[in-house]
Amino acid sequence: MTAEAAEWMEEEVKVQECRYKGIVEEIDALEPQREQWTEDFLNIIQTKGFNVTGDQRRKIPKKDIPKKPDRPDALRVIW
Amino acid sequence: MTRPHIEPFVELNESYKPFKIPGFIGAHYKVLSLDVDTGACSLKVRFDGGFKRKPGMSYSDMELFVLEGGMLVDKEYYGEGHYLFLPAGMAMGAIEVPQGCEAIVMYNDSEPTYEESDAHHQLALKESYVSLNSYEDAPWAGGSIVSPSVATGCMLKLLHFDPLTEAMTFLYCMTPQFMQDNISYHDCAEESYHIWGTSWMLQFGDLPTGGYFWRPPYINHGSFRSKLGCIALGRTDSKLHNYFHFNPWTNPDENRSRAAATLYRQKPQLFKWVNAGGHNHPHGPQGQLEHPTPPADFEHPDYTDNAQVKILNEQEYTFHEMDHLHGNYDPDAAHAKAHTHGHAHDHGEGSDHEH
Repeated sequence: MTAEAAEWMEEEVKVQECRYKGIVEEIDALEPQREQWTEDFLNIIQTKGFNVTGDQRRKIPKKDIPKKPDRPDALRVIW
Repeated sequence: MTRPHIEPFVELNESYKPFKIPGFIGAHYKVLSLDVDTGACSLKVRFDGGFKRKPGMSYSDMELFVLEGGMLVDKEYYGEGHYLFLPAGMAMGAIEVPQGCEAIVMYNDSEPTYEESDAHHQLALKESYVSLNSYEDAPWAGGSIVSPSVATGCMLKLLHFDPLTEAMTFLYCMTPQFMQDNISYHDCAEESYHIWGTSWMLQFGDLPTGGYFWRPPYINHGSFRSKLGCIALGRTDSKLHNYFHFNPWTNPDENRSRAAATLYRQKPQLFKWVNAGGHNHPHGPQGQLEHPTPPADFEHPDYTDNAQVKILNEQEYTFHEMDHLHGNYDPDAAHAKAHTHGHAHDHGEGSDHEH
């Protein structure tokens, strides 16, 4: 790797780390909306159905609807 | 690590920076994502009017997609929608930019490199070269070329396909009011740049024009919506399989385990062979097969009780039962070749031994 490329990499890795942190903050701030979107989704798959493949839908019975787990990463969407 | 999870990133809010790497001086760039180990990267690049570069090659595969304006490459005009896959070592003709051009440029193996040359490197895989105008010269296909498939209204144009890894580069679009009510993940990393329009995903909200993501494997995304439609450039780094489900709270470890469970059910012989480290024979102190532990599947926790799954996983194929019927079969040579590993085992016909 040339010296110019090494310098470029070093600088851009730092920029990307900052960007990643910014994305995590931005996406975490969507949490209240995401809770609502999740609730809407779980309703839709019980009424209109879940897309199994293509346009084939299957209605999911209430007893099979997943429950939010009690663990630290339950709400995490950026990994 | 390779590239982190960058999703969403709207590059239109960022400024261009001047390139300082030889071969790119005079161009400006924004990094969309960067592999921190290898320097492989996806960039948006602005070539101002008057930019020129002599013929040259890179030691990395390179992909280019023209978003705005155009450039002359060896006097051939690459206008909006032009897609180029240039394998490592293949020389690219002289570049001349008459009036300015913006493009997505991806270096897949290393940081951007350039070496002046008008000849191809002797090891360049020239047959994988692709150059076409994706807007004019490629048809839209239904998304069902992958199964399980996306819903009707998501279409794609395949631009590049790697026969070894099944990595793909493609244009895709969603029609207005597109909707797909499932959550998806893949075994591959997935990347997208929104050329125009907005799509929405349950986890990340809206991805507008200029929106970008690099998403590592096994990360939940979806359900999906696009109110007014969108068109985007997409890529995967290996085979794309849609694992659909409806649990919004699973993590990548659970998703990967479920993917392995799918392999256990759908390709049991391959699963066993891989799990055995490639030893194509029964294992265990008495020569019996030690069945691999079935991976956990959050969606079907009791899948191993299913009769068909049981049958498939209890089947044994050694592929040697009929060897004696093959005229040219040499059991000693086959034996020597098959067992280069070092541990005791039983062949099941009273010939226990150690290698």
